[in-house]
Amino acid sequence: MSSSIIELRNVSKTYSTAAGDFIALTNVNMNILAGEFLGIVGKSGAGKSTLLNMINGVDQLSSGEVIVRADNENISIHTMSEDERARWRGKKMGVVYQSFQLLPMLTLIDNITLPMDLSDNYKPRESKERAMQLLQLMELEEHANKLPAFISGGQQQRVAIARALANDPPILVADEPTGSLDSITADHIFEVFEHLITDQGKTIVMVTHDVGLVSRFSRSLTIADGELLSESIPDTKLNHGRKK
Amino acid sequence: MRPRWRKVLHDLIDNKARTLLVVLSIAVGVFSIGVISGAYQIISNDMSVSYAANHPANVELRMANYNTDVLTSIHNAQGIGEAEGRRVNNFRVRAQGSDQWVALDVVALESFSKNQVNLLAPVSGAVEAGKDEILLEKDALKKLNAAVGENLTLELSDGTLKELKLVGIVQDVSTGAGDFLAPPFAYVVMKTLPTLRQPELFNRAYVTVAEGQDDIANIREVGTALKDRLDKNGTAVSRTRFSETHKHPLADTVNAILGILLALGILIVFLSSSLIANTLSALLSQHLRHIGVIKLVGGRNKQVFAMYLTLIMAFGVLALLIAVPLGGQGAYGLALFIANKLRFNLLGYRIVPMALMIQVAVGLLVPLVAGLAPVISGSRITVLRALSGDLAGDENKPQAGQPDRLPWFDYMLVRVTRILAMRGIHIPRPFIISLRNTFRRRGRLMLTLFTLTMGGAIFIAVFNVRVTLHDYIGAIGSYFRADVTVDFDKTYRLSEIQNFGLQVDGVERVEAWQFIGTELLYPDGAVADNLNMLAPPANSKLVNPIIVAGRWIRADDVRKFAVSEAILNFFPDLKPGDPIHLKIKGRTEVWEVVGIFKFVGREGILAYTPFEYSSQVLNLTNRSSSYRFVTTQHDRATQDLMAERLDHFFRGAGFKVRQAESGLASLDTASESLDTLVVFLLIMAILTAIVGAMGLTGTMGMNVLERTREIGIMRAIGADDRAVMRTVIAEGFVIGAMSFGLAIILSIPFTYLLSTIVSLAVFETPIDVVFTYMGYAIWFGLILVLSVVASILPARNAARLTIREVLAYE
Repeated sequence: MSSSIIELRNVSKTYSTAAGDFIALTNVNMNILAGEFLGIVGKSGAGKSTLLNMINGVDQLSSGEVIVRADNENISIHTMSEDERARWRGKKMGVVYQSFQLLPMLTLIDNITLPMDLSDNYKPRESKERAMQLLQLMELEEHANKLPAFISGGQQQRVAIARALANDPPILVADEPTGSLDSITADHIFEVFEHLITDQGKTIVMVTHDVGLVSRFSRSLTIADGELLSESIPDTKLNHGRKK
Repeated sequence: MRPRWRKVLHDLIDNKARTLLVVLSIAVGVFSIGVISGAYQIISNDMSVSYAANHPANVELRMANYNTDVLTSIHNAQGIGEAEGRRVNNFRVRAQGSDQWVALDVVALESFSKNQVNLLAPVSGAVEAGKDEILLEKDALKKLNAAVGENLTLELSDGTLKELKLVGIVQDVSTGAGDFLAPPFAYVVMKTLPTLRQPELFNRAYVTVAEGQDDIANIREVGTALKDRLDKNGTAVSRTRFSETHKHPLADTVNAILGILLALGILIVFLSSSLIANTLSALLSQHLRHIGVIKLVGGRNKQVFAMYLTLIMAFGVLALLIAVPLGGQGAYGLALFIANKLRFNLLGYRIVPMALMIQVAVGLLVPLVAGLAPVISGSRITVLRALSGDLAGDENKPQAGQPDRLPWFDYMLVRVTRILAMRGIHIPRPFIISLRNTFRRRGRLMLTLFTLTMGGAIFIAVFNVRVTLHDYIGAIGSYFRADVTVDFDKTYRLSEIQNFGLQVDGVERVEAWQFIGTELLYPDGAVADNLNMLAPPANSKLVNPIIVAGRWIRADDVRKFAVSEAILNFFPDLKPGDPIHLKIKGRTEVWEVVGIFKFVGREGILAYTPFEYSSQVLNLTNRSSSYRFVTTQHDRATQDLMAERLDHFFRGAGFKVRQAESGLASLDTASESLDTLVVFLLIMAILTAIVGAMGLTGTMGMNVLERTREIGIMRAIGADDRAVMRTVIAEGFVIGAMSFGLAIILSIPFTYLLSTIVSLAVFETPIDVVFTYMGYAIWFGLILVLSVVASILPARNAARLTIREVLAYE
């Protein structure tokens, strides 16, 4: 059995607003295994995006702990400062959002090169070459010098995935990455994710409101009102592969 | 180029309007400070160099006629370097083919080639005038339309006309350098004097001291000793003037004026920095999502900080590229203008290193300082907040932990609207939206209001200062309110002049005035300064003094006088009733001060004693060489006409007229000089207004951009283009109106401050401030136009957005 790459211990999150306190997550405990494609499924407002933001360190938790074990390091990410988390995320965790979040003024290749530039993991020429490889992986090499506005939504999402892979992180987290895409394009994105898991051994955590996608994950967790309710492990080709 | 720097480059060039706004905001400040600091450097250097290069006299003596023997004795006196005798007479001069007479001081030199003091620099034509030839100082050409080779007609005191050939134009930066009101000069050789029916004798001595030419105490000491010696030897000295070789007599005044302009320049930099802070803070809030993305993919605070700092530096560099060359040209232009006005030369166009350094420092540091706070807070923002899309930054939005109630402004708005509605007055809803929008970004509103208010307050204050200065000049004119002054070469009986004068159409009254040239003495007998004592009839209506202490002169005053405030420079504790030692006609006398009045300090010490007593002092009962005429009308044209008429009449009747001048002539010259100063102040005020307008445009643009979603909602529920534009323009109008209210208040201390500084620099005395509606009215009109104009472009942009575009924003 694979080891746990991310562990959440008693994670709770409460937001204070003018209208009063709002509990977004209550005592969430979970393990994410290396190399799995975990789906977190829930309705709008269930707390799935909050949970994802706890995992990627974008948001601060109210209590509990998130431990990430990657590259022989055990890191409790919420003990780090915002700045340290940004640096850590740049190297260890790729993030993909529904709204792509590409910088509109940079070309596709520059958008992908940006994380490498910020982390100084690669020399400029190497980063360019790697960005081109990632674009080839996403079958977008001919659009390398276009601005995001000049390609389709599905293509933009593939660029966002390429950017998330720029520093070759072991973990990818994706918040509704297919939410604004048509079903054919969404299917293509899933193929990319499956390829990343099977061929590159990445761990992917994805949240979605679409229960119809459960069968595409190697494991899925259902969340409602900030609590994890159930777990399912469908009989998919991903799990077949893992059994082998 | 690395992607992060490519992003910075795109941020710089993609939004050209925003870049232009920031760059121009910085450039305005850099330009202003460059012009002023450059001009300051050029003038303070060139003014003294140019002045010293002409070997100016350290001591100028106005004397009774004297010959070469006296000149030799002056030359041989202790401590004297060079000494040159000249004769100066005032003549009316006319160019060939013109009927316009111009009063010139004609200076006769012994020899042009042996000229050692107050050197003449050639401009065109000959540098020496032979017998019956004349040279003109180049300033005279402003009044006299003459060309080299033509003949000039001079009117002698007996009415005879003589022609001299104009052979050259020269420049004399030394003679009369300290006197704004000095008449233009012309130069002849002594041999020409018989032609002008003048004796070949000197009446001026221009002297340099042998040592310590920049030590005013030494110059005074040597000059006073020389004067005493001349007095003892029977050559009366009526007036002395001391000046240092390397200090132009007007250097202090010019530096004070430049100091005021520099203060305004610094203020413009300050105002533009608030505009920069506003724009950069808006830029950062527009870039929150970008910052969020950068941090999401691994960007650290210092990397984000470095990116935006580079962007700011790029704005600064672009501003420098615009403002440095323009500032350099402006500095030289300003220096040249002042140099022409004050008759000194510049050493040529050049880049002033100090001004350049100041500009570079201002251009880079000011945006850096102004942008530091928004950049730091922007670079520290959390990824979550940056990506959450909370871009409007509504400061009225309730925050966690705040009490559950409306912000005060909204509460007031609701109350007022309800009260008005109960009385049947319904404020249009879009206007209420405009009002609320105005107060949503309070920090931005404050900075915009601050910039506009300062611009407005300075603008209004400059108009008040202008009126204050003119009012003071008018008040100064009330010391000599005659419509025409006629000076004769000899004394005439008052009754005689009255009999003749009243025959001239338009003359109402004639007064005889006398003049006593005296010296103010310290108790130990040392000369403190010259004192010009005028003696009108005690009941003269032509003097309307501004009394500071004591009283005005009376007919029965004996050895009593009223004196101008300038005397306090020598006797700070002087008060009415105190005795003062004066040297009159070579005798030391003790007079009593009866009153102290306000007057322009720069014009020396002025005093008044009654004609009734001066007649005894001068032994000229009911006689004088100077007469004041009051005419039926008092405008400049009538005065000029009457001066001409009286001149003709008296010359025709055989009187030896020296000069007939209208009362407003010299006042107008003084007013023109002041207007030049006011124009500079106004230029600075307009620059502050431009910065204010740019601030408002920027603010409105940012407000519209940040409320794109709201505008979309308004349009979705039926607001047409006009309604959207009206909402935006009304917001600009509200800001403009608020700034006007604040500017009215702030203009009051500004007026007092500016008036005091200017009057101390120009008049050497603080003056009473006068307010005028003019500045308020113009600024009110201007701010209305500016507010609307500044809002139109953002409003048009808002109205052009489609619902789909605006709701898809972000």
